[in-house]
Amino acid sequence: MSGGTGGGMRLRALVQFHEDPALLSWWTARVAPVVAWLDAPRRRLLLGLAALAFAVERIDDRSEGPAWAVWLAAPILLGLCWGVWRAANEMRRLPSMVRSRPQVFLHALLALGFVAYWSTSAGPARRVLEPIVPMLPFVVWRLGFLLKTGQRGKLVGTRLTDHLVYLFPAWGGTNTPYGKGLDYLAGVEARTPEAFARSQLAGVRLLLLSLVWRGVIEVMAAAVYADPESRLTRHLGSWTLGVPRLPDLVQHPGSAPLGVVWVSLYLELVWVTLRLAAKGHVIIGVLRLLGFNAFRNTYKPLLAESVVEFWNRYYYYFKELLAEFFFFPTFVRRFRHHPRLRIAASTFAAAFVGNMYYHTIEQPAFLNGSVAGTWAVMHSRLLYCLLLTCGITVSMLREQRRRGGPAALAGGPARRLRRIAGVWTFFALIHVWAIPGRVPDIFGRTRFFLSLFGW
Amino acid sequence: MSVGPVTRAERAAALRAFLRTIQKPGLPVEGLAEDAGLVTSGLIDSLAILEIVSWLEERFGVDFARLGLDPGELGSIGSILDLIERESA
Repeated sequence: MSGGTGGGMRLRALVQFHEDPALLSWWTARVAPVVAWLDAPRRRLLLGLAALAFAVERIDDRSEGPAWAVWLAAPILLGLCWGVWRAANEMRRLPSMVRSRPQVFLHALLALGFVAYWSTSAGPARRVLEPIVPMLPFVVWRLGFLLKTGQRGKLVGTRLTDHLVYLFPAWGGTNTPYGKGLDYLAGVEARTPEAFARSQLAGVRLLLLSLVWRGVIEVMAAAVYADPESRLTRHLGSWTLGVPRLPDLVQHPGSAPLGVVWVSLYLELVWVTLRLAAKGHVIIGVLRLLGFNAFRNTYKPLLAESVVEFWNRYYYYFKELLAEFFFFPTFVRRFRHHPRLRIAASTFAAAFVGNMYYHTIEQPAFLNGSVAGTWAVMHSRLLYCLLLTCGITVSMLREQRRRGGPAALAGGPARRLRRIAGVWTFFALIHVWAIPGRVPDIFGRTRFFLSLFGW
Repeated sequence: MSVGPVTRAERAAALRAFLRTIQKPGLPVEGLAEDAGLVTSGLIDSLAILEIVSWLEERFGVDFARLGLDPGELGSIGSILDLIERESA
């Protein structure tokens, strides 16, 4: 008994190594001279300067144009960032129409960029815009955070390089700003050697966790899916389950027994979650190594006991983006005297409107101005976002009713497992309409969904 | 005409009383320092921030439509009291 407890404690100590006081103290002593020189302003300056190189690299990644166009795009984009930074600094002096809706004007500017691109089919103007336009969905949300900082009057004492840190982040990321803007980063920035050491150890732990998840993904690809591209599959020979992937089953309905289809449905949720966690842990791990002890992007969503809890834990920085730019603005402006409608409308603005908008503007078909192509890729997502909105709204209202009462989510392990299973089922089912790709269309996916229940 | 709490101590007492109605069970609001994070300390979940917004609108007339909602300003008892003071001035 005591051996088991001791073993458990040792395992916990190993997993939570970043909180070990002796290790923290040892590492603090090692990094103290570095932190003494690399104080917060100097760190931001270096990261801001590094951002210039990252800007060129990111533009190059997304562009198929000539090198000169890439090199020209960098100063143009930096000029745009400078312009927005100036506007955010001068927020009080902007026309009241812009001042009251700066995000709308930012996105109007984005729309102008798209229209200009679609209006040019060839020639030098097209060549110049080609590397810039794919970068717009990347910078627009980050510039949005910059404007929010200005609106909140927190730009005082900051330099442009402070903002370049997250506009073109050295820690990587997608169109979703991992680490949000300066407001958030300044709050989690290490200012003492101990805080820096703590952040770095937490970063190392996250990077190791990412490796673990990558290992699990590899094993899952081979042992569960018999992925022919996995080297492990060859070693396993016939020792694989050979479960078909959900996207294949949706494209070829009736190709597997119903039980296998349900297994594949749940496994897809695990697969997608593990891949997102593995990727996000690297980005936040690097951010932590740089001294910003940011919240991780994915935090045990598969253990969530409500839909809204899963949504908070699954893709934190995307959820934050939707909350900052869609949920909160709707919440403070609409249906103030109708609490339930207020929640429903704000959730609709975020989970439906924001979610659709975010994914639409990053589609290659959209960037190329193809309405039919964009519709083909995005129309199934309409139903996904609608169902997601309904699920989150109901879950939020239920949570609100429970709040303040006795431990409403208490109960034995069986009740807990039932709640977790319910959350898995909800997200696994609605994912049918979120699988990337044009085929099958919304009707084909709906037929597949109905076939799960024998219809 | 009812007179609302006017001193910082009175406002703090009113806020703590409200937090008791939305908090997770098990953590005493009384023991929470003014600068302790409400969400990070585990007292409330992030959704409860919305209820704090509604309460501030109704009780103190804070106009978030004009101010904008900055979750950072609602992160601790101290920052909420600062917000009330600023908006009541």
